[in-house]
Amino acid sequence: MKFKKAKLLIEPPHSAMSDIAFILIVFFLVCASVQPDRGRSQIIPKSEEKEEKKEQSENVEVKLSRTAAFVNGEPVSSAMFLPKMQALLSEKTKEADRVVVVKSKGDTPYHHWISITGMIEKAGGIITLQLEEEREVMTD
Amino acid sequence: MAMGDIAFLLLIFFVILARAQDDSHLEWKPAETPDLEQARHAKASIVIDKDNKTYLNGQATGHSQLAGELEELLGNAPVGKRTVLLKVNKDATAVFFEPVIEAVSEAGGDLYHILEQKKDE
Repeated sequence: MKFKKAKLLIEPPHSAMSDIAFILIVFFLVCASVQPDRGRSQIIPKSEEKEEKKEQSENVEVKLSRTAAFVNGEPVSSAMFLPKMQALLSEKTKEADRVVVVKSKGDTPYHHWISITGMIEKAGGIITLQLEEEREVMTD
Repeated sequence: MAMGDIAFLLLIFFVILARAQDDSHLEWKPAETPDLEQARHAKASIVIDKDNKTYLNGQATGHSQLAGELEELLGNAPVGKRTVLLKVNKDATAVFFEPVIEAVSEAGGDLYHILEQKKDE
């Protein structure tokens, strides 16, 4: 009586194991490190000069709330914001006059803020932030 | 065989070392904008995650100490080489991101917002 000889399993060479592990780690590292690295630079002047406060009334003032934007107290839609800023800043030749004071309510979301400040910069404005006094205390 | 093991352990060691300074484990969604430019080499990276917590180079920090920590990191680096990356979750509110922007400004950093390309609707 003849029995069929079972085929023996062939073990892979042990030396290849570390190479496989190495390649797997590199693969997962590359997958994990895909992070956004593009964006927009923004120049925010230091807000220390007290003398300039007198002249602030001449500067354009933008107030931001959760969904709306107000230019010098007047509500402006997102579509009309850029033309409005361009019209206001086109007359101003001095750099100091192109300063736009941005005041945001505490609940203004970042995506709204970035969209509005982007349009101010596109129109040639220089952004200065005005933080509310009581907010500076509660930030920590 | 031993060489492969040593290389493997070294790799693990450097990965752990790199992650201590890394902020890739933090969860945040970038805001969208139509015009983007490539970020320069940054001296520091600040993240405001989905829970509105602030991190400097992957380490949790508070608004009050941020300006001092940034000044330390930026040192005497010349203008143009003081880039600070700001990664803010798109739904974070002004209460959380404005003091951070103020701190970067106070420390004399060049602010760079990390954003995402706006998709056409």
